[in-house]
Amino acid sequence: MSELHNYLLVGAVLFALGAIGFVTRRNLIMMTLSAELMLQGVSLNLVAFSYLHGNHQGQAFAVFIVAVAACEAGVALALFVALYQRRKTLDIRAWRELGEEGLVSGTGGEEPPIAPVLPAALESPRLTPAGRVPDISKRRADNRV
Amino acid sequence: MSEAARQIALWLIPGAPAAACVLIALTGVRWLRERSHYPCILALCVSLGSSLGVLLLGIPDIAGLGPDGSHPQVSAAGYEWIRVGGLDVSIRLTADAMGAIMVTMVTLVSLLVAIYSVGYMRGDPGYARFFAEFSLFVFSMSMLVLASNFLVLFVFWEGVGLCSYLLIGFWYRRPSAAAAARKAFLVNRIGDFGFLLGVFLIWGTFGTLDYQGVLGREGVLQQIAQQHPGRLEWICGLLFLGAVGKSAQFPLHVWLPDAMEGPSPVSALIHAATMVTAGVYMVARCTPLFVQAPFVQLIVAGIGGFTALLAALIALTQYDLKRVLAYSTVSQLGYMFLALGCAAGGKEVVTLAVTAAIFHLFTHAFFKALLFLSAGSVMHSMGDVIDMRRFSGLRGVLPVTHLTFLCGALALAGFPLTSGFWSKDEILAAVAAASHGTSLYAKSFLVLQFTAVVTALLTAFYTFRAYFVTFWGEARFPAEAGQHPHESPPVMSVPLVILALFALAVGAAIGPSGLFGPYLAQTRGLTGGEEHVVAWMPMLLGTAAAVIGIAAAWLAYVGSPGLSGRLARVSTTAYNWSLNKFYWDEIFAALVVRPLQGVAWLCRVLDDYLVDFLVNAAGRIPWMVGSLLRPVQNGQVQTYALVMMIGLAALLLAVLNAWAGG
Repeated sequence: MSELHNYLLVGAVLFALGAIGFVTRRNLIMMTLSAELMLQGVSLNLVAFSYLHGNHQGQAFAVFIVAVAACEAGVALALFVALYQRRKTLDIRAWRELGEEGLVSGTGGEEPPIAPVLPAALESPRLTPAGRVPDISKRRADNRV
Repeated sequence: MSEAARQIALWLIPGAPAAACVLIALTGVRWLRERSHYPCILALCVSLGSSLGVLLLGIPDIAGLGPDGSHPQVSAAGYEWIRVGGLDVSIRLTADAMGAIMVTMVTLVSLLVAIYSVGYMRGDPGYARFFAEFSLFVFSMSMLVLASNFLVLFVFWEGVGLCSYLLIGFWYRRPSAAAAARKAFLVNRIGDFGFLLGVFLIWGTFGTLDYQGVLGREGVLQQIAQQHPGRLEWICGLLFLGAVGKSAQFPLHVWLPDAMEGPSPVSALIHAATMVTAGVYMVARCTPLFVQAPFVQLIVAGIGGFTALLAALIALTQYDLKRVLAYSTVSQLGYMFLALGCAAGGKEVVTLAVTAAIFHLFTHAFFKALLFLSAGSVMHSMGDVIDMRRFSGLRGVLPVTHLTFLCGALALAGFPLTSGFWSKDEILAAVAAASHGTSLYAKSFLVLQFTAVVTALLTAFYTFRAYFVTFWGEARFPAEAGQHPHESPPVMSVPLVILALFALAVGAAIGPSGLFGPYLAQTRGLTGGEEHVVAWMPMLLGTAAAVIGIAAAWLAYVGSPGLSGRLARVSTTAYNWSLNKFYWDEIFAALVVRPLQGVAWLCRVLDDYLVDFLVNAAGRIPWMVGSLLRPVQNGQVQTYALVMMIGLAALLLAVLNAWAGG
């Protein structure tokens, strides 16, 4: 019994850390990591109970959760790359278009500025070019119009 | 002419212009462009041919046949428009003698004016639009004439009003044209309102709107006159109000002179020859109704006589050539109403009175259209200048226009043997006959007779004033005319010459020769068989008036040119009254327009401050409720996550509590 207690305790701590991290961090990647942490806390609970009852369904669930979490992380990171290319920052506050305008932020205190972009960060990694180089100068001209 | 041929001919009269209108409206701007006049002119030729067929073959063929042989009419069923309860309105074309004469006149003048317009409107950006609206007008006008039902009459009455509005405002970028179009429309509304009330009253009284049912049963009319005293007077009075608006009689005459803002062919066709005579036509058509209300007929005569005199006095001093002609149109329309009103003189005068009015309507259409088109020709070569003070002595440059204008002016003045002479003489004869009539009101016509003769004198004077000032004296041209003003092209001058021939000869050809009177007398409400009356006394008076007027104009403007200026200085007050149109525009502005503007201002204030306040308040309430919840949506992901977690925790707590309690 006390063994289970320890498992649950670790799971709860993981979940709480994840929740606190999700709410307090502003960096998109850190927020995702926090979310993963919460997920793992839950998985740990499942595995613990499964072990207690001698039932393998919980274990199977945990495996599924790991797989789904991997997919979800992949999608999320792909989105982050796209978002980063737009605004050159990972601060979540750069995207708040869905909110009402002109509202004071929830904390009420002075908000730190959105993390400035490091010059080095502008040089995002690129794939090695393959095939014909696309003629982007023309397309840019079109887009400007 | 077989029955089928008669019906087809009858339908072709309005049908051809309607088809032309649709064709030009759909393809004119993109495809027909400068060829837009072809469908219009072709359709008018078809219409004219059909009208002549009905006039010369259709009606004489059936005269004297059938149960109602003395009032022959060609009739063609259309379709049932409204059939509700006892109300049965079907669109049915009917041409009796009066309608056939009228529709022939309309299509003939329209055709000539359309040909003239080809030259006059050349190069105008709205060329296709002009001919589309022109065709629409001819369609509406012929439907108005051929209607056999008061409601259909009213619909096309409004239809010609619409076309008039569109064509007065043809150059709608010019503010004065837009204002004139609006004025014409609004002033006509007053008359049309009365007309509509009259139609309602007819429906309430007779239970039908068909001419046959209302006008065709004399017994019913007399019965109603006995049962409801005053009812027929009201109907006639209200119908006459409609005619007053449409035919620009006092006090609703103010729109017609302003309507000269439209192109000259429009002034000639709509505002001189055809549409404005619709009121006269309608009153003449309702003769069986009006003879039951002699008092209203006296009012008709009174208003007609007064308008004739008033407009003639105004026309004496106007400088705008087209305005002189516009006031003379008002004056001549007044003359026609005066003639119609003469029927109050007694039952025996009715046929003479109506014949005189319709005869004058017929001849007037030709010479007034001619005068307007000639004025348009002057305008054309003078670079759109129409102010008589800025040109003179145009005899040399515009020989054809000079001669045609002279023909029109002679006819309008009533110079012996021109067509205006015969018809004006007949009106004077009718007034004289009315003053000797058996009716109670006969004595009033002595005054009107005097008015008519004075008006004839004034008419001759102002017509020839315009003629001498424009065509005689030293040759002067405005700068807009360019270096070498030239005569109009043949496409404009040929219709002028044809109209000039009509203006000179048509009266003599059909009036005293006894063609017109007996033919028209086949119309319902008239008693047939009367020959053209040759009354020596009125004829002598009319001739004297015309000759004295012309001689006076010659003396004042050619013989001793300073005379007119001296006269104007001697009688400054009278001169200013006439020049300012007796201040009717100002009086209406003060009595009607200003109060209405005040009401409009009040409505606007109420709308802005009361209605808008209530509406905005209603919108404000949901906004305020929403502002309570709005801070939740702050766009910060962390806040959303926190709220979600708190919610989840609360839910968990509640569920666990419930389990523990259960």
